[in-house]
Amino acid sequence: MDKTRDTPVLPHFTGCRSREQETFRCWWSAGTFSNLSEPGALVVFFQMKNTPLSDWQECPEYTATVENECYFSKTFTHIWTSYCVQLRATAQNITYDEFCFTVENIVHPDPPVGLNWTLLNVSRSGLNFDILVRWAPPPSADVHTGWMSLKYEVQYRQRNASHWDKLDLESGTQQSIYGLQTDKEYEVRIHCKMSAFHNFGEFSDSIFVHVAPIPSKESVFPTMVLLVSGVVGLLILLMLVIFSQQQRLMVILLPPVPAPKIKGIDPELLKKGKMDQLNSLLSSQHMYNQDTYREDPWVEFIQLDLDDAGEKSGSSDTQRLLGFTRPGPKGDDDSGRASCYDPDLLPDAEGLLAAHCEMEEHHPLVSESGPSTPSPEATDAPFLPFRTQPVGQSWINMDFYAQVSDVTPAGGVVLSPGQQSETPGMNPDEKKKKGEDAGDEEVEKEKKLQLLVVGSDGGYSPEVVARQVESSAPYSPAPENAYHALPPEPGEEPQTWSVGYLVPDGEAQAPYFLPEAPPASVLPPVSDYTVVQEVDGQHSLLLNPSAPQSPACPPNPTKHLPSMPAVPMGYLTPELLENLSP
Amino acid sequence: MRRLQVVHAFPCCVLLSLLCWTVAVPLDCKDESGALSRCATISQEKLLDRVIQHAELISRVSEESCTLFEEMFVPYSMRAFRNQGGNACVTKAFTIPNSKSELQQISDKWLLHSVLMMVQSWIEPLVYLQTTLDRYDDAPDTLLNRTKWVSDKLVSLEQGVVVLIRKMLDEGMLSPSPPGVVQYDVQPEVLESVLRDYTLLSCFKKDAHKMETFLKLLKCRQTDKLGCALY
Repeated sequence: MDKTRDTPVLPHFTGCRSREQETFRCWWSAGTFSNLSEPGALVVFFQMKNTPLSDWQECPEYTATVENECYFSKTFTHIWTSYCVQLRATAQNITYDEFCFTVENIVHPDPPVGLNWTLLNVSRSGLNFDILVRWAPPPSADVHTGWMSLKYEVQYRQRNASHWDKLDLESGTQQSIYGLQTDKEYEVRIHCKMSAFHNFGEFSDSIFVHVAPIPSKESVFPTMVLLVSGVVGLLILLMLVIFSQQQRLMVILLPPVPAPKIKGIDPELLKKGKMDQLNSLLSSQHMYNQDTYREDPWVEFIQLDLDDAGEKSGSSDTQRLLGFTRPGPKGDDDSGRASCYDPDLLPDAEGLLAAHCEMEEHHPLVSESGPSTPSPEATDAPFLPFRTQPVGQSWINMDFYAQVSDVTPAGGVVLSPGQQSETPGMNPDEKKKKGEDAGDEEVEKEKKLQLLVVGSDGGYSPEVVARQVESSAPYSPAPENAYHALPPEPGEEPQTWSVGYLVPDGEAQAPYFLPEAPPASVLPPVSDYTVVQEVDGQHSLLLNPSAPQSPACPPNPTKHLPSMPAVPMGYLTPELLENLSP
Repeated sequence: MRRLQVVHAFPCCVLLSLLCWTVAVPLDCKDESGALSRCATISQEKLLDRVIQHAELISRVSEESCTLFEEMFVPYSMRAFRNQGGNACVTKAFTIPNSKSELQQISDKWLLHSVLMMVQSWIEPLVYLQTTLDRYDDAPDTLLNRTKWVSDKLVSLEQGVVVLIRKMLDEGMLSPSPPGVVQYDVQPEVLESVLRDYTLLSCFKKDAHKMETFLKLLKCRQTDKLGCALY
């Protein structure tokens, strides 16, 4: 009670209740009127609103044990009857409060008794269970005679929850609760009300329901199945990913090792053997250029050392060889070329020569020396650049190979004019053919054919062989041209190779490899080319003794030449070399 | 003298036979055509149970109808009228006991007759209520359905009670509705239709509760006469 300055609260009824529809009680409060809180200060009068309105009667019984309570016994309790109670002050004739009701509308039944539960069943998973709750009607309520018809309401909740779950009203004395969870504690309570009325009574004492979860095999089984299926699904997904992205994964996991590759060159060309295309490709590169024949500096320096012309008449041969110049306006000596044009070319040599002649661009044997600045006496530049003449007939007709006609005792190889595969006697023939160019030839002779020096110790490079075929057109006449090959000393012989045209010195002992183009049967009496059969220990070539023009038979008997395939471009492939090597 | 005795004895025998005949004849069921026909026999106990079920349902539905009407149409200030509606209801011609002790002292006959009278008194007013509720603009269908249902069930309840009376009390046909009791007269001061309907529903709810209580008491007496009859 607020005893502050708030508005004073009048004495009033706090409520009237009946428990069993046979008696009822009313309570009141004195409010802020403390002087009226004394017992006896306030009185209660009631009246039953029957047809003959009864008089106001005072409370039949004031409860002794409870303060401010008026008790109406069975005698004074009439249902289906309207009551009005008044709170009056004893002293003054003041009615503080009035409250009207009918008894059945103020009935609040007592709580049911005997609340208990039994387990109905547990779910298969062991997670849920059902229970059956039983109770008995309140003993004060006379349900047996039908005086009161009660409806019960069961409520339950989890132990620490704040919200109660309510079940439907039940007329009987038992009810099932479904869907409770194991290992959780539940609290259950019940209250009741009159069937056709609204007032619920007090709640009964709560009971606690708890069912321990039953560990069962079945509860574990679904988990295992789920786990296994999840793993299998993941594996399948992984496999799908791998197979779909196989290429990428291979690249990521096993990066391809870069193979050696020439930039810009398709390896397919190498496989198919399209040499032309390959050559064209290679020529576009700077690493390997076949056209360097023409531009290769050291090709340029093929010089004819006329001073040391062959000791024998081979000199004439060499000279003739050297005198071979390209016919035509260039007027350069082009032995190869002349040989090409020479109609007297031996049939055996024709093929080869023709082949050689065709290899114009590949065999810049002799370039035109006409426009070449260096004169035979030109000594200005020891190495005049080899001017690549336009591909002309000269190249075609150039003879890339000079036949070794003789081998000097010193070990030097004497070259003979290519196309005339005969004895040194041929040389004059060639000379004749080039009669017109004799003058030039002579001039040419003076030019030093620069032999390519193969300065490898015992090594032989086919490229060098090829290069050696070339002869620089602007023959630098300087005999002391450093590039000219050598008149190697005998002492040096075993150490160095000098391959190519024999320097007019004739001292060159480098053997000159010539593939045997024509078959042996077609060989003229004098073959232009001598097939090297073997190389002796002194690195001297052993030529085919069958070749008649090679009088100087190699000290070693020549062996039967193995048939050698025509090597284009005058290359001696390693395979061929292997065949010849001892 | 002998001739007079025989003459007096003969009407007694006739009356007696008639009486026996009325008693011995089983319950006759009247179908809709009104012709008497044999009907399925039902035990008294089951009939009483069914009557009690009717009374319970009627009581519950009447309470729901009253609540619906109260929520829908009655302002808060007037809701306490239910508690005070006791004197607004129709007063019966006979006093009805209103305590448990009094009820336990009342005979079965009286109980049944009381029930029958109440049922008969409410059939017409409910029909009247039905028409008035239809005039409401926003009367919920649930309310209308319930009142309609109650009207129908009252009629069958009346029939059952009549048969029950005949069976239990061995009484003959009773007149359908005694006049004077049925007339429902609302207090003249209650003029407003809403209050009138609300009062009507409240009073009906109370009477339905009475009927239910009476019948249950009657049931108790049938099963355990001693326990129920005792105070």
